[in-house]
Amino acid sequence: MRPLATEELLDAYRKMRTIRAFEERLQELVMAGALSGFLHLYTGEEAVAVGVCQHLGPRDMVASTHRGHGHCIAKGVDVGGMMAELFGRRTGICKGKGGSMHIADLDRGMLGANGIVGAGIPLAVGAALTAQIRRTGGVAVAFFGDGATNQGQFHEALNLAAIWALPCLFVIENNLYGEATPVEFVTPVRDLAARAAAYGMRSDIADGMDFFDVHARAGEAIAQARAGKGPTLLECKTYRYSGHYVGDPLTYRTPAEAEFWRTQRDPLRRFEERVVADGFVDAATLRRIDREVATLLEQAVAAAASAPHPDPEDLVRDVYVRG
Amino acid sequence: MARELPMVAAINEALHTAMAADPTVIVLGEDVAGGGGRREQGIEEAWGGIMGATRGLLKRFGPERVRDTPISEMGFLGAAVGAALTGLRPVAELMFIDFLGVALDPLLNQAAKLRYMFGGKARVPLTVRTSTGAGLRSAAQHSQSLYGITTSIPGLKTVIPSNPADAKGLLLAAIRDDDPVVFCEPKSLLFVSGDVPEGDYEVPLGQAQIVREGHDVSLVAFGRTVRTALDAAELLARDGIRAEVLDLRSLQPLDEAAILATLARTGRLVVIDEATPRCGIASDVAALCVDRGFDLLNAPVRRITAPHAPVPFSAVLEDAYLPSAERVVAAVREML
Amino acid sequence: MIVTPAALPMATPVAMPKLGMTMEEGRVLAWTATVGAAIERGQPLVRVESEKSDFEVEAPASGILRHVYVEPGTVVPCGTLLAAVTATADEPFDPSAFRLAHDRPPDAPPPTTAPQGSAPPGVTPPRPAGAPPAVTPAARARARELGIDPAQVPGSGPGGRVTREDVEAYAARRPRRVAVGGGVAIEVVAAGSGPEVLLLPGFGTDVAVFARQTPTLSARFRVLGMNPRGVAGSDAPEANRYDLSTLAADAARLVDHAVHVVGASLGAAVAIELALAHPERVRSLALLAPFVTASPRLLAVLDAWCRIAEEASAEALATALLPWFFSDRLLADPTAAARTRRGLAAILSRVPPRTLARTAAGLRAWSGTRSAMLGTIAVPTLVIAGADDLLVPDAPALADALPSAQRLTVAGAGHAVGLEAAELVNAAILRHLEACTT
Repeated sequence: MRPLATEELLDAYRKMRTIRAFEERLQELVMAGALSGFLHLYTGEEAVAVGVCQHLGPRDMVASTHRGHGHCIAKGVDVGGMMAELFGRRTGICKGKGGSMHIADLDRGMLGANGIVGAGIPLAVGAALTAQIRRTGGVAVAFFGDGATNQGQFHEALNLAAIWALPCLFVIENNLYGEATPVEFVTPVRDLAARAAAYGMRSDIADGMDFFDVHARAGEAIAQARAGKGPTLLECKTYRYSGHYVGDPLTYRTPAEAEFWRTQRDPLRRFEERVVADGFVDAATLRRIDREVATLLEQAVAAAASAPHPDPEDLVRDVYVRG
Repeated sequence: MARELPMVAAINEALHTAMAADPTVIVLGEDVAGGGGRREQGIEEAWGGIMGATRGLLKRFGPERVRDTPISEMGFLGAAVGAALTGLRPVAELMFIDFLGVALDPLLNQAAKLRYMFGGKARVPLTVRTSTGAGLRSAAQHSQSLYGITTSIPGLKTVIPSNPADAKGLLLAAIRDDDPVVFCEPKSLLFVSGDVPEGDYEVPLGQAQIVREGHDVSLVAFGRTVRTALDAAELLARDGIRAEVLDLRSLQPLDEAAILATLARTGRLVVIDEATPRCGIASDVAALCVDRGFDLLNAPVRRITAPHAPVPFSAVLEDAYLPSAERVVAAVREML
Repeated sequence: MIVTPAALPMATPVAMPKLGMTMEEGRVLAWTATVGAAIERGQPLVRVESEKSDFEVEAPASGILRHVYVEPGTVVPCGTLLAAVTATADEPFDPSAFRLAHDRPPDAPPPTTAPQGSAPPGVTPPRPAGAPPAVTPAARARARELGIDPAQVPGSGPGGRVTREDVEAYAARRPRRVAVGGGVAIEVVAAGSGPEVLLLPGFGTDVAVFARQTPTLSARFRVLGMNPRGVAGSDAPEANRYDLSTLAADAARLVDHAVHVVGASLGAAVAIELALAHPERVRSLALLAPFVTASPRLLAVLDAWCRIAEEASAEALATALLPWFFSDRLLADPTAAARTRRGLAAILSRVPPRTLARTAAGLRAWSGTRSAMLGTIAVPTLVIAGADDLLVPDAPALADALPSAQRLTVAGAGHAVGLEAAELVNAAILRHLEACTT
């Protein structure tokens, strides 16, 4: 893999910082009672979304999960539109009709967060099918968790992608817990990437807390897919700082464990350490980006909080294209 | 010009027509071609679909656009949704609607809802062809009529032809509709022939059709039960009772205006559905009559359906299971 | 009961009606038409007796009385099929299948062909004992529109259910009662739509004497049949006599503009009085067997009428009066005579003896007092008389005294010329009315 240019590094950092700031702001807003519904935060997993999506362009598609804000931001979905959607406003990216688990922007190739575990995987396979038939040169990436690898849809979709040699990348975000249950309790294999063997599919494992490792391995897999050499199953070992959802009492893991990941393995801190140590970027630039991100977030929240609610007619609008 | 074709051939014609006109139309499902991967042995299309509905498509349009799938309904229906979302117009086959059980999520939570949840930016121009109904001694797990489920899901459309001409026209309309459409093929009608016009034509979704005029009682039917209603109308005519028969053709959108109009003409309505009675189309139509046509009712609304039971295997039992013209006639007599 | 236009080839059922909430069954007394005979809609078909009264069941359609299911003397529940009427005599008709389809006595089980498994099996809770029959929503809506109480409507649907057709039929038949002042209400039986035609029946009869006229006229006109005070459903106030000026004033209160007036016998006299005293109410006159001076013979017959009515049955009265109303020609046919006697008896039974006495007194007082005034009646007038009229033999001469009168004398017909020569009379009246209307 060729090294990244400075611009690309800064862009990656900005995206990861935006995800971190966005999710932490949401936590505050929920605690303050300003947001409602189920929110699933991506804090801690930023390197996975950004590491993969840095390889993607406008003709590439991404399907996501209930924990989808990170993928949306990494794929370039407008932060203001996302925030307004979370506030349920008419100016939201889905006009207030979808909410956190269904944020999508098809114009940017974001096929949506999804409230059904595993459901995004066949959707990505379908998008890859389109790319293959229409020869767009695009790839489709499915992000999903360790729990989804036990879903029927996962297995059926991987099988299909394998036999049709579709331009897909399947990214397992193994954050060690499926809701409140540790992964080892419900999955007989330790490395989930091993499941690719059942489909004769290429697989790889990345340190999900290391942007560069994710970026390198994802890059290879995507290159294979674009070259028509078929799909890859890429397992990223990662960790979610927050609970399954905001408000989760987190009684299924020890505070010491979370503390360890936060302090020893934080992706943003590790990214900064490496780029500064390697002399590509200075810390001041990164701080500037931090401030810009903070401002962007504040503007997004302010705009969202004062935006108009959907009209009553929107209740039955867009059920169908026509009739 | 029209020729006599069985319904399955009319469906085949629609698929050929749609695929020739639009390169984004693809077909996928189990054994839609059959014999996949055996080209070297001279096998190209072993079946063309379990009933032959997809015959000739692989040969004409190639393996990219005509794909045999593994037995993975959830997987390939989900993929069909994803493909529809991103620019293709897939026609996926759910071989028996009974298999809805293993494939409901892609239809219920994905295809039906993506447009709405994404604020109108997405569209899912997917068609799911599926066979419905009893009468072929296929027993409980291959004989159901689950269109009541798909009809009840906002965001899906559901249609069901009663004759070959409508089958061709409705399927073409369904494929070209930009919403997800479940196209039901009553299996007991697949080999019944009728006149089918040549060329490209559509039967609009949401439009019922009067197939027999009368003013003493309205018989509302669809799919297999249209024939039942017409037979009942003949029997009733011998006693001077003139029944009007309305073929719904489309369950969602439902032609409510046509239902209320025929009720206004006759004041008496019977709805005939081969599905089971709870929470089904028959109850839906009856409720519409009471809710919006109350002052038109000159007799109770009667529902003639299967019993609340699975479909039995025994031929004698299965024949008693299905609505019959005699049951319709008996109900009408009680209404007069 | 299905009511269909008579032009279509299908059979119409005639069922034992349920008149009122408590009627459970009726006895067929007599058929007034024979099987195979041509009948007209509205024509009395069968006389039936219930606990409370006798009444005529009218033909629901014109055509042929094709089959009779219940013989005289039999008691059957309401809803039982009594007869079938077909449009033509030779169209296919299967009496058993028809009965199977239409015979609906209230406790009859549903046809045994209903197999298991018709839409959700379950027991429909029976209506509580004594509950009024069900009324369909469509019937209820129509009754609301027409200002009818559905509880008054006899139901012909399953279980005596009142259908929309029942409400329509009831509305077509039902009399209204109109207040005419002094606390008196007069019964009016309305039918049809179009320009109004007021029908005034003769002495001791009600509007049913116009049974042969009403269907024809109501096709193009709104027919208002007036039952004079003391007759049928009209009030019978205490009085020594009912003057013709009073009867005319009652008639004048029924409408608020000039209408066509058709009167028979005494009704014609009332019509003349109406034209004289209330000319603004009269647009044209059709006078059947009219008189302004009652002959001694007429007065004698009326006297006998009053006395017989006090002592004998309506049947006996009808037997006595028959020769005075109808020609020998008609009475020579025993079947026609019997049928006519039955019909007449039914009419006579609706006029109590005291009304007869009061009206006769009024007629005596009026007789002869108007002859000089006839020249002032300017409206178009048609005088119809039977050549063999024994009670008013000089009726045609009245036409001479009226300035704008045409006359029609019907050979071979008696005093009840409207009943005896209906087709000729109807045609003449229609021509007369249409000429006036234009």
